Amino acid sequence: MALRLVNSKLRSQILPMLSSTSLLHSHATSFGFKEVSEEEKSRLVGNVFSNVASNYDLMNDLMSGGLHRLWKDRLVSKLNPFPGMKHLDVAGGTGDVAFRILETINSMKRRAIQDSLNDSLHEETRIFICDINPNMLSVGKKRALERGLGEDKSLTWVEGDAEALSFEDNSMDGYTIAFGIRNVTHIEKVLAEAYRVLKPGGRFLCLELSHVEVPLFKDLYDLYSFSVIPALGELVAGDRASYQYLVESIRRFPPQEKFASMIAVAGFQKVEYENLVGGVVAIHSGLKF
Amino acid sequence: MVRVSKALLKDAGSGISKTLSEILVCPLSKQPLRVCEKTGSLISDAIGVSFPIKDGIPCLVPKDGKILETNDTSEDDGVTDSAGMKREEKGGNR
Repeated sequence: MALRLVNSKLRSQILPMLSSTSLLHSHATSFGFKEVSEEEKSRLVGNVFSNVASNYDLMNDLMSGGLHRLWKDRLVSKLNPFPGMKHLDVAGGTGDVAFRILETINSMKRRAIQDSLNDSLHEETRIFICDINPNMLSVGKKRALERGLGEDKSLTWVEGDAEALSFEDNSMDGYTIAFGIRNVTHIEKVLAEAYRVLKPGGRFLCLELSHVEVPLFKDLYDLYSFSVIPALGELVAGDRASYQYLVESIRRFPPQEKFASMIAVAGFQKVEYENLVGGVVAIHSGLKF
Repeated sequence: MVRVSKALLKDAGSGISKTLSEILVCPLSKQPLRVCEKTGSLISDAIGVSFPIKDGIPCLVPKDGKILETNDTSEDDGVTDSAGMKREEKGGNR
């Protein structure tokens, strides 16, 4: 009886959330330089990633000249992965970050076995890959098979929303989000959820395209962004609009200092960031105490 | 033959439920989820919503959730059901 009451109370509070975000208050938000409603944004972003999923890796290589690989390496080295860790990689559908973490841990394990220091006490490593887009996840699962990680018990794929994570409070040692947070509707909600799922002592790391302030380099970068990238998108992926969205969304994303202060507002301590390539990308980090 | 495939099915099921019992929760209520093997879905009893599992991937985006008819949930009593579930998971954990 009591359970029923709780049930119906919860229902009335939560069920409105089921209909695409909340219909009660639909604020205007940005989709690139366009102003759109919040529901519209998640639909449009969904379309972008469904369109680009199959060419995602190729386009990343072409647009960044292969640099995105180094940026992701840097992200993972900052994480300091360890055997037995519980990690959540959000918006990481194609597995790029998750595979790096797992391979780092596996190479550590191999070394440990060689040194005969292997202890069987440590827990199983678990890396959760959460992405809202099923197309990106199926690309990732396919790549896991190709890499011989298809049967790896450490990897768990989940279709989920960064703003409403399906993981327990205080359950993760690490949280990464690479080139994802720019595309969400509410950055604050994503940060609050990251904080919630991390264990005390857990590390938040975010790799994102950011803002270049170096005078001459900024002009070059703008030229490259607005002239070369959409053209490249059209040529290679046959999709100019998605790549136009990409460069616009980068300009709309809060600059380094502002984003760092948002991370601190979410409750994180020791918030800092590192600019790579003059701010083309930045890695923000924070600790939950 | 039948026994083997049954065992396999059970293994696959317990694989998922083990992960679930460890860390996965309902994205809305943050309460535990239970595996419904009949429909291949995850059920959040707290709010009476079911989430599909597609190609072995749990789909836990709030919009993917379907509100269960109250008749469905009351088919078997929620309390004893969740208790039974817990016992089953412990047995499978070893």
